[in-house]
Amino acid sequence: MDGKTLADHAVDYGESLGAEYVEARFVNSKNENYFARNGDFLSIQEKSSRGLGIRVLVDGCVGFGSVDVLTKDEVKNRVESISKMAKLSKRETPIEFSEEKTVQDTWKVPVNIPFKDISKEEKQDYVKRLDEGIKRSGSKRFSIRNKIKNRILFLHTNSKDKYIVNSDGSNIRSDESFISLFTILNAKVKDSSEQRMLGLGACSGWEWLKEENIHDFVVSESKKLVSTVEKSRSVNINEDIDVVVGPEVSGIMAHENVGHPSESDRIIGREEAQAGGSFYDEFLDIDDQDPLDLKQSEIKLGSDDVSVIDDPTINRSPGFYLYDEECVKARSRYLIKNGQLNELFLNREFASVFGTHSNGAARSSSYSREPIPRMSNTFFEPGDHTKEELVEDIDKGLLIESFTEWNIDDRRYHSKYVGLEAYLIKNGRVKDQMIKRPALELTTPALLNSIEGVSKDYEYRMNFCGKSDPMQPVSVSTGGPYLRIRDVRLG
Amino acid sequence: MIAMVGYNFEEELLKVGVETALKAGADEAIAKLIDQKKHQIRFSNSSIDVNKEWSSYYLDVLFTKKSRFSLTGKINTLTVQDPDVKRVKKNVPKHVDLLKHLPKNKLYWGMDDGSYTSYRSLDIYDDKIEDFHEKAPELVKKTIDSSLQNGADGVSGVIHSESSKIGVLTSYGNGGIYRSSFCRGTVRAFNGRDSSGQDIVVTRELSNIDKKFERAGRKAGILAKKGVGSKEGRAGTYDLIMTPTVAANIFGNLLNGTNPIMMVSGMSPLKGKMNEKIGPEELTVTEDPLIQEGLNSRPFDDEGTPSKKTCLIKDGELNSLIHNTSTAKLWKFLGMLKLKLFRRPKTTSNSNLTQLGLTGTEENPRTLMPIPSNYRFNTGSYSLDEFISTSSRPTIYLTSNWYTRFTNMSEGEFSTVPRDAMFLVENGEIKKPIRNLRLKGNLLEILKNIEGIGKDPKQVRWWEVKTPTFIPHIKVKDCKFTKAKGQ
Repeated sequence: MDGKTLADHAVDYGESLGAEYVEARFVNSKNENYFARNGDFLSIQEKSSRGLGIRVLVDGCVGFGSVDVLTKDEVKNRVESISKMAKLSKRETPIEFSEEKTVQDTWKVPVNIPFKDISKEEKQDYVKRLDEGIKRSGSKRFSIRNKIKNRILFLHTNSKDKYIVNSDGSNIRSDESFISLFTILNAKVKDSSEQRMLGLGACSGWEWLKEENIHDFVVSESKKLVSTVEKSRSVNINEDIDVVVGPEVSGIMAHENVGHPSESDRIIGREEAQAGGSFYDEFLDIDDQDPLDLKQSEIKLGSDDVSVIDDPTINRSPGFYLYDEECVKARSRYLIKNGQLNELFLNREFASVFGTHSNGAARSSSYSREPIPRMSNTFFEPGDHTKEELVEDIDKGLLIESFTEWNIDDRRYHSKYVGLEAYLIKNGRVKDQMIKRPALELTTPALLNSIEGVSKDYEYRMNFCGKSDPMQPVSVSTGGPYLRIRDVRLG
Repeated sequence: MIAMVGYNFEEELLKVGVETALKAGADEAIAKLIDQKKHQIRFSNSSIDVNKEWSSYYLDVLFTKKSRFSLTGKINTLTVQDPDVKRVKKNVPKHVDLLKHLPKNKLYWGMDDGSYTSYRSLDIYDDKIEDFHEKAPELVKKTIDSSLQNGADGVSGVIHSESSKIGVLTSYGNGGIYRSSFCRGTVRAFNGRDSSGQDIVVTRELSNIDKKFERAGRKAGILAKKGVGSKEGRAGTYDLIMTPTVAANIFGNLLNGTNPIMMVSGMSPLKGKMNEKIGPEELTVTEDPLIQEGLNSRPFDDEGTPSKKTCLIKDGELNSLIHNTSTAKLWKFLGMLKLKLFRRPKTTSNSNLTQLGLTGTEENPRTLMPIPSNYRFNTGSYSLDEFISTSSRPTIYLTSNWYTRFTNMSEGEFSTVPRDAMFLVENGEIKKPIRNLRLKGNLLEILKNIEGIGKDPKQVRWWEVKTPTFIPHIKVKDCKFTKAKGQ
């Protein structure tokens, strides 16, 4: 029996058992991994998987399950057991899902060169050539000594077709394609070493590698890593300075300091035993505020220059989708607009808690995971400065282009970002002098209120965002524009 | 052929997997059958959010081709979902044929070709697991009530249970079939916005499971209450008392560096430290797949190598890495190149057909590499109370942490964020609850600075600790705490 028929059957059968809502997701997926160290392949693997995830709402309680044995009997058994288990939950406050428009539609990731059209040998060749390029960037001509001691390259391709159907009458078919390149580079010069983890990826076919010139970009980043090891010096700066952060750093800040606290399930507490809560719970009132239009509440979180957007509809982006995993149409969202809290991430469960509609934020990493509110492509809205303009009025400061260590507390208030490629700014100019591992350790309000000036240039990076239990890594964009952060003290 | 018989259908599938691969031209093969059921209840705000059930049934087949002129070989794997004899016979030959398109795998140096007639019997299956999920909602309620009665005003958490039947057969005739089951859970209790406490339950033994979760609920509730009225912590250098939960996360990150894959990837601060003193004399750490209660315990690994205990750190010295056959041979070869002929590492029975990838678990391809089973720290002589009462210098008692990240994994530079109740200890007693600090350090330095090891080990496995770790409270001197600037 095909996946669509089984998914339809799951929904029909769940309804016949009396469920208030049933949803089924069939995913047929093919993955290829090319994992190399210093040009030698440690693993080349492919895997096809098929499975069906089913979610039911019974007596105001949610049951979720999945099967990879795709028979009618197995699906029937799973619907019965998760319906029974949901009933056993016996919540005092019933869970409801928001009313949403019924849709039947299809969407797909535009692909020019499907992964299946590229042979395994060509894929290996790409990884080997890239490794060679990185290797050359770490050594002088005719020298056998290489400063990039460890080069880990991980090329991943995924293509999948998905069918989501629910008892409201909606169904969405999608044809998805994703490619990513993850690198871990270790550069060492004498006793000093630095490590660079760089994620790049897109919802695209094989053509992404060429069109975005990924090879040259990674090679240029590896050259910068060598410079960082050779030139960076530790300095003590015991005064407030201005710091300009590049796209990679502003991207992780948008993700950690703004994106995560904007997830409605965290605010309500559903992630408290895993990925944590949100400091937004201090000023949000679920009975009185509309999470789709919080501007009225005038909750100021940052300077007027701060606007943060999450937009899943950006073609080819790592977090691209046109319908979420609950059949709700995707759209762009201003999380913060001109410094004011504007909108949260909502799936149908938490839209209902707030008495409103979903804004299409439900994502799941696999057929075996439940859809929960997630980010897609989250970034500071570009401004109207050039990078040079952001720097030109700084007497003494830093430019931080990339980062290594970072973390944030589980309410997303106390963050830390350690710079990797970082330069001294003096008298309005970026100097050759590189600064070793400067740490920005700021609270979220201190960070967002110190932003004064945003560039119009924008670059993206790819990362996998982790959340939930079992863990659900989903691909997201973590890039953005340059930001000028005024008067901050390094840690 | 199979050492542990009793499940004829599974036995036949394993044989078909291996024999089909060999017939199609593979030199060696492993078949691994997984029949697994998992249940999970997640709760927050003192109510159940979702009740989940998963089932998986698949056969992984690994096949290799040796090279005539090289010590390494080619390797490929295939996962057959809902396997039956017909499906296995149809799909395996196609994938064996793909080997000719692959280069030699520099990490594949062969598998265990020994012959094992029997394996240690492990009591790692509790048949009470069969209907455990039906009783779990009631267990959640008791856990929540226990927390609320002891100081919490809201409780979140998770109870997760698994039951597996696992079969392994290699082309050398090694392996068998065994069952295992376990339950683990996290309870996080809150008292207001600024105070929380957490405890965990990790067990294979389902008798008295109610008491274990009620105790965890109580402990979490008490911690949440004790944390009320916390003051802003001050950045500086303190001695640190870690609960088993914290210690398992921090030291687990270092122990993961005993994996040769981490070492060759530049992700281990332990490179070049073999036989060096890296910790105090009192510290001994083993990797042990034979601990009855250990969540990753098993009678043999995925090469059919009988499970055995490996001493990773002995009396403070780095004593061994974890290996499978391939990495042991590779290490031996690398040792010969460096004229370290006395080094003859052998497999430590850590071979695992593991998922390697960045996205959702079921979708990830598998490959064969060493994976740790359970870590076990030796116990010392201190109780928690003694750690506190003997603290003459400013000391922080940290009950939980998360988000450990590295500046450079090859150096071990890291920071981690305390979460849940944290206390300042002065003059031998808990002075006050504190909040909003960050621990910054180096894994090697922290290990060296261990001042005392507790006598109260506990198995830790939760969101932030993936390898089950038996570890007591541990005290470390001279730890640096930083603080974010701004209100």
